[in-house]
Amino acid sequence: MTKLEKAYITLQRMEMRHSASPSAVSPCMAVTVSVVYLAVMLSVPMGRLSMLLWFALYPIIASAWCGIGFGRIFLRSLYVVPLVALIALFNPICDRTVAFTISDVAISTGWLSFCSIIVRGLLAMQCILILIETCGFVGICRALRHMGVPAFLTDQLQFVYRYLSVLLLEALSMRRAREARGYGRKSYPIRLWGVMIGQLFLRAIDRSERINRAMQARGFTGTLPAYRSDGRQLRPADWIYGVVMCTGIVLLRIFNLSQLFTALQ
Amino acid sequence: MHMADALISTPVAITAGVAAAALLGVAGYKVNREKGVNSRIVPLMGVLGAFVFAAQMINFSIPGTGSSGHIIGGVLLAAFLGPWAAFLTIASVLIIQCLVFADGGLLALGCNIINMGAMTTLVAYPLIFRPMTRLSQSSGRLIAASIIACLVGIELGACMVTLETEISGVTALPTNSFLALMTGIHLAIGLGEGLATGAILAFVVKSRPDLLATSVEAAAATGTTTTHRNMKGVLIGFGIAALVLGGVLAFFASEYPDGLEWSIERLTGSTELVSTHADNVATTLEHVQRATSVMPDYDSSFSGIIGAVMVVILVWSITALLTSGRRHKPIKADIGQ
Amino acid sequence: MSHHYIRFTDVHFSYPDGFEALRGVSFLLTHGERVALLGRNGAGKSTLLLLTNGLLLPSRGEVNIGDVPVGKKTLPIVRQSVGMVFQNPDDQLFMPTVEEDVAFGPLNMKLPPEEVERRVGMALDAVGASDLRKRSAMQLSGGQRRRVAIATVLSMEPSILVLDEPTSNLDFSARRDLIEVLKDFTHTQLIATHDLDMVRELCPRSIVIDKGRVVADGETTAILEDQKMLEILGIS
Repeated sequence: MTKLEKAYITLQRMEMRHSASPSAVSPCMAVTVSVVYLAVMLSVPMGRLSMLLWFALYPIIASAWCGIGFGRIFLRSLYVVPLVALIALFNPICDRTVAFTISDVAISTGWLSFCSIIVRGLLAMQCILILIETCGFVGICRALRHMGVPAFLTDQLQFVYRYLSVLLLEALSMRRAREARGYGRKSYPIRLWGVMIGQLFLRAIDRSERINRAMQARGFTGTLPAYRSDGRQLRPADWIYGVVMCTGIVLLRIFNLSQLFTALQ
Repeated sequence: MHMADALISTPVAITAGVAAAALLGVAGYKVNREKGVNSRIVPLMGVLGAFVFAAQMINFSIPGTGSSGHIIGGVLLAAFLGPWAAFLTIASVLIIQCLVFADGGLLALGCNIINMGAMTTLVAYPLIFRPMTRLSQSSGRLIAASIIACLVGIELGACMVTLETEISGVTALPTNSFLALMTGIHLAIGLGEGLATGAILAFVVKSRPDLLATSVEAAAATGTTTTHRNMKGVLIGFGIAALVLGGVLAFFASEYPDGLEWSIERLTGSTELVSTHADNVATTLEHVQRATSVMPDYDSSFSGIIGAVMVVILVWSITALLTSGRRHKPIKADIGQ
Repeated sequence: MSHHYIRFTDVHFSYPDGFEALRGVSFLLTHGERVALLGRNGAGKSTLLLLTNGLLLPSRGEVNIGDVPVGKKTLPIVRQSVGMVFQNPDDQLFMPTVEEDVAFGPLNMKLPPEEVERRVGMALDAVGASDLRKRSAMQLSGGQRRRVAIATVLSMEPSILVLDEPTSNLDFSARRDLIEVLKDFTHTQLIATHDLDMVRELCPRSIVIDKGRVVADGETTAILEDQKMLEILGIS
């Protein structure tokens, strides 16, 4: 399966999941909590692995709250490891200060920050995955609009999202047509690629012209009108979620619970 | 080139976020003004955003090497949409990649929008591509301009990545070697991007020369220097604001690694009143401070780490047990619909 | 005054590249008529349809919607009276959900919220798509998309419907459903199509165009038996 197909399937699967069922947590609240979580979690100093690890509680609790299997989220988040490990690997090489020893093995601060980077990567990824699983893309766009993000951006996002699957499908059929005529390779020589993507581009331009006509025909004047659909209102449960999560996250940052274990020693 | 959240610190992310938001604001203003005149830009930007996304999914082989690459598309979009609309379009693609495909971090979005969007559409395009193609739009010139503009745009992006990572204090790699590494890798990527952009442009311009932004501008050449200058002023203002904000945040981050410690210090250290009158309070606070920050930057023992890991695993097991029955319901309902 | 008829008077149209798509087209569609527009690809059907809605303006001659001549100043009225359904529903459904797409026209007309709400309900009901309200276009089947696309113009309560290839790419049952939907409408309808079976069933009158000119305008049964017409359409 190539990137194109994967992207198309991800998109379709997401659409099916968010057909009509309202999300477990209001998208506004989910977006807020996610941003708070990321901002607080990423502010933990690199060497404080013991504090950082407590932040792993959030994805677990949030996914349980929203009825998403954490196992799947965890597995999907592993995809980020090689991306960040590439940069993290330099830390144990460059930074060999000893942080502490386990029996006779010295652990360097470089290894501590290496682990920190990986954990940060995993947790941030899980946070995003949970956000998108609970709200769906259109839900997030609506929440952003509701929270004051200007319409020019949310409209643009929705437009791109709407035509993603259309264009992916077009690119797919184009590539299949080429493959059927014997170009059995994964990448194309640059000239051929230019012709192919150039054609895709021209088709995109034609499509935008047709959409423009369809919009004009229905009286479009330059700004997409906002339709007040009965969106998801904030319920008490959403407030509880927001307050509990945000307080918990901030508390984890202020008090290093691992001190308890150090004290026990 | 998508940066993950793991590679940046909160102050850097927030600074870049503010800067990106400001640039998006300017782009929105510019594009909104154009929408009034030419409403077709709305579907055009939308569909071209989706196009760039699809085009990124098809690899080309980089000549002379065995490897393949894909485009980012900043200069390409700018060539057709002009810098601001292209910037807005690229930003929307990056946001969707982050939210839908978890490609690039959410807090790192500001960084990514600047590195991959602004550097190509707002720097490389107006400073290199546009001047080079203003007079002639022959294939050769288009390809040359694409290669140089993409190379510069992407190298600038790579420099930004280095800068952001280094300021974040994430990597222990010295700035010089990190910079050399990043610019080295991106030399090949930029070259590929430039060749690919040139190849598309050459093809498209052959059949539709009217589509290029430079030819649109030439057709509607009117004096817009005053607004240009105004925008420059706004931009410089935003840039300075972002720098100051970043500096302040970075200062706090380095001097006071912990917000609480900082406030406690201020409370106990600066006001004599507290320490003399409420000696007890001060010592308690100091105690708390010591407890929360024995080694402010690095863990000094293994037990804390182990403890945290144990609790996390415990909570996971508990929630897994509690929710294993409940979880299947909503998914089934979804399929049923 | 009635908006229910379309009158073309010696309409010419050339594209900027010089291609003459229409060379003197005249016809009149009266209230409640359902007329098929037939012709080969490139005969000028699509251009003609775009002219009814003011998406293109004639280079020469005049298009009237009711008493209103189509021109730059009358566009809002014209677009309200003529509902245009395009061939590819993907181009027509650009909003995140079906209901937003259907509400798009009425909202652009600056109608009050209750009225918009009523029209969205009415339009979806008319095409039997009320249950698809909250869906996104991505989740719809081909037939559903087509019906929703029609709803997006019905919500503007036009008096005339102009449809471009409404049955292309549909399977048998979706095509059947669509024909039933169109049968129920009392609007004046102009349908450009290659689907002759549908034409026989729906449209008592047909207009045939070839190379930018009207070559026949009359009863469908007569036209579809005329050997010369069938040759022009490329059937025999």
